[in-house]
Amino acid sequence: MLFPLESAIKADAKTVAASGDYDIVIVGSGISGAIIAKQAAEAGKRVLILEAGTGANSTLSGYDNLLTTFYSAASKDNQSPFPLNANAAMPRSPQLRKLRAGETDSSTYIVQSGPYVSDTTYTRIFGGTTMHWEAKTPRLLRSDFKTRTIFGQGLDWPLSFEEVEDDYRLAEREIGVSADVEDQQYLGQTFPDDYVFPMRGLPLSYLDQQVNKGIEGTSVELYDKTYPLKVRPYPQGRNSIPNPAYDGGKGYRPIGAVDTHQVEEGGRCQGNTNCVPLCPVQARYHSGKTLAKAFAVNGKSGERLVELLPQAVASKVNIDPDSGKVHSLEVKIYKDPASPAHETITVKGKVFVLAAGAIETARLMLASGLRSTSGLVGRNLMDHAYLLNWALMPEICGTMRGTSSTGGIVDLRDGPFRERQAAFAIDIHNDGWGWATGAPTSDLLKLVDDRNLYGADLRRGMIDQVSRQLLLAFMIEVMPVESNRIAVDPQYTDALGNMRPILSFTVPEYTMKGAAYGRQFARTVFTRLGAQDHTQYDPSDFGYVAYEGQGYAIRGGNHLAGTHIMGTTKTNSVVDKNQRSWDHENLYLVGGGSMPTIGTANVTLTLAAMCFRSGRDILKSLH
Amino acid sequence: MYSSSIKTLDELKEFLYRAMQLEHATIPPYLTALYSIKPGVNQDATQVLRVIVVEEMLHLTIAANILNAIGGTPDLVRPDFVARYPAALPDGETDFKVGIQAFSREALATFLKIERPAQRPEHLVGKGLIYRKTPPDITALASHPSHEDLHFFSIGEFYSAIAEGIKYLEAEAHGAGTTIFTGDRSRQITSEYYYSGGGELFPVTDLKSALEAIDLIIEQGEGDGGGIYDDDDHELAHYYRFEELVKGRYYQKGDQPGHPTGPELQVDWEGAYPIKKNLKVGDILEGSELRGAAIAFNTRYGEFLQLLTRAYNGQPTLLLEAVPMMFEFRNMILELIRNPLPQHPGKNGSPTYEIPGAIKQPAATRQAEVNA
Repeated sequence: MLFPLESAIKADAKTVAASGDYDIVIVGSGISGAIIAKQAAEAGKRVLILEAGTGANSTLSGYDNLLTTFYSAASKDNQSPFPLNANAAMPRSPQLRKLRAGETDSSTYIVQSGPYVSDTTYTRIFGGTTMHWEAKTPRLLRSDFKTRTIFGQGLDWPLSFEEVEDDYRLAEREIGVSADVEDQQYLGQTFPDDYVFPMRGLPLSYLDQQVNKGIEGTSVELYDKTYPLKVRPYPQGRNSIPNPAYDGGKGYRPIGAVDTHQVEEGGRCQGNTNCVPLCPVQARYHSGKTLAKAFAVNGKSGERLVELLPQAVASKVNIDPDSGKVHSLEVKIYKDPASPAHETITVKGKVFVLAAGAIETARLMLASGLRSTSGLVGRNLMDHAYLLNWALMPEICGTMRGTSSTGGIVDLRDGPFRERQAAFAIDIHNDGWGWATGAPTSDLLKLVDDRNLYGADLRRGMIDQVSRQLLLAFMIEVMPVESNRIAVDPQYTDALGNMRPILSFTVPEYTMKGAAYGRQFARTVFTRLGAQDHTQYDPSDFGYVAYEGQGYAIRGGNHLAGTHIMGTTKTNSVVDKNQRSWDHENLYLVGGGSMPTIGTANVTLTLAAMCFRSGRDILKSLH
Repeated sequence: MYSSSIKTLDELKEFLYRAMQLEHATIPPYLTALYSIKPGVNQDATQVLRVIVVEEMLHLTIAANILNAIGGTPDLVRPDFVARYPAALPDGETDFKVGIQAFSREALATFLKIERPAQRPEHLVGKGLIYRKTPPDITALASHPSHEDLHFFSIGEFYSAIAEGIKYLEAEAHGAGTTIFTGDRSRQITSEYYYSGGGELFPVTDLKSALEAIDLIIEQGEGDGGGIYDDDDHELAHYYRFEELVKGRYYQKGDQPGHPTGPELQVDWEGAYPIKKNLKVGDILEGSELRGAAIAFNTRYGEFLQLLTRAYNGQPTLLLEAVPMMFEFRNMILELIRNPLPQHPGKNGSPTYEIPGAIKQPAATRQAEVNA
């Protein structure tokens, strides 16, 4: 995919400040902003995208520099490819520590106010969190849209699955989802007879297949209902074999790497294990691919319709007191990531879209003093709670081959048990115990330091130790709770003087009940596989949560949602079903923050689908 | 004057075999240059070489599709299929040698010659094939299959002869109420098995698709009718991609040949391992690890060609198995290229591409085979 030269799309701060004719001003270049920008450009609208990051990774060499940073980083966490930038700081999980009762830790970008400390992350660079996402793209189940009605838990959406279904298909096209319909028809998920995904499903890893061998045909009982088990492939936002039957036989053309010259890279997933955080060949979707299409759209007189202003941190939403409409955005432009020096400009437009992710969008609203009529801005924060379980398989299973997760056990995503406890989906991790123990580095250090191995013995030892590792990551449902929230306080600010997000979170009991069952479930699965359980949760772990006499280390899932939920009235929600603010008619708060519940689906596909809906509503409002 | 026209289906099949041989012959030099680049440098050159080598694999497959379309049998394990390097390629009235060497200015000069658009000078227009004696131990690529010493003026001319042959034979068949496109459709390799932004893999089933396939091969190499892009005005031809490296600047839309105006790019001409040019297994110290690695690579490469042969003969899904094999090659080639060559101070090893069983036979024997 060709990308225009930087000079052609990069806006100049002075020109932007002087310009009054943007139809739409979007904060954030992640998937939400990218989809809306593309839709708007195709309808002939002028769009400005404000990006807090440097934008250096919009070129292939900039992207490859992130890879080099990742390869040379000692800790390979989700944010390791992304250089430190105090002006657009982001959470980095290795810096966390456990809190004492009542303590607040402001040493990291997100101020952790507890009691639960979350290692959740999002990425503040060009492309947003799609630069590090896992690219699993399951849809929400039908029941997920009305958990209050069906299970008496959480909230109902103001939208039904049927109302979102067409937009799911648009999102699957935009992302380029690889999946086979027959693998995704479970727990009541149905597809029209003629529907196929853009690309064929990616194969299960050998590890997935070995796990499946041990559990297929077995089942578990939960509250008198039987759930048969098997390993299913996940739908994924990474390039596979295009399905010739897609789009009524027209097929699908995959999009590889984006760059200013032709590299034709990224045509197909190569199964690189460091797919998360960063695909080395751009076979994994990132929103730069959507933006490349948006930037390519020209207006009537050949002018580019979409401009990008990088190093631009939106700092305040200014409201016209008479109309209640957004009048402008205050934006801080920094010259150098290493220096807090900046100038402040005012950006005007007809419609404003905050697409900065659930935490930053809420943070910006709160920092602007905009709590909304419902008072719910920042509240109902959700993120999947992850419980890790790890074991050694009886035989070598090829761990460390394939992208981070290709298959999982999803049979417990739904059932009547959701009246009492959270549902979960289980990822089989192809990257071994890495998430739980720091493998394979931790294994290497052990073999060298404790057993003095070297040469062929060390290689053999690594294979024996690492390629039998099985990690089951339980992605557990978390329901909206108003006290779980993002707040701001003038005493906690960043390098540019913007208030930082303060996170207060308690893992709900509903979720912990699911976690406790998940632990039991993992033991059952390990026994059936003949695998040796090595799971242990350290009470000093930052995410340690005690529940009914047992302790569990809960991890954040980076599936942030709920901070500006959608609903049916201005008193029960922040935005309407088109993600338009109830209080400010030319303001849209888009992304995971609008989701009233997250079920057991990674949030990106759903929030992408919702942005197609919002894009149409914005265009309607501009006419 | 020697005529190049193809008059029988058997001749056409033999030409298409030669086309596959030619397309394959560019892969070892490009692949070796690509992997000779040291880590951390020459990012632009790496990308340029990578995309070209991938497209050469596309061309190889397209040639197989044409051969299958007319009922032929692609055979990549025939003893003379893999060229002995350095191999000879036509360059107008003379020829030049394509060898296995590290990424360098010299290598680039050769690559440019491979892809160069060639036009006959006035005094040679309409003069037919060029007579030139090829030494018996040299593989003469793109030569006439049944006249070893008759050469095409250029690769473009070689393909034009094939296109003319297809047209002639199809017209002849048409006159007799039949067609030359009698191949089994299920042997065609389709787009599921190849994609990159550059070029499409499509089934060849008739005259139109066969001629399109030939155009694609020519235009991706040398551009369309003197322009820098292929006929969709979309993709930069190989010749101009290589030229970008020599000129240190990218082409962009609207540029004239020889005058790229896009962003600058950096080439570190020293940023490659010093591999010994056209190394042969026989040159590597007997009993050394490097010699073992060179032989192991050649064996594996031979198995790869066997797999491709099966894939091109009715089992296209086997191409998926070829993908992990390509990763294996990368590791094996890097091992050879990054280690010193015993008894050759300052020189590193290299893959030799001497495929077991593939020994060039004297021209006379081959002539007999063709006639048989």
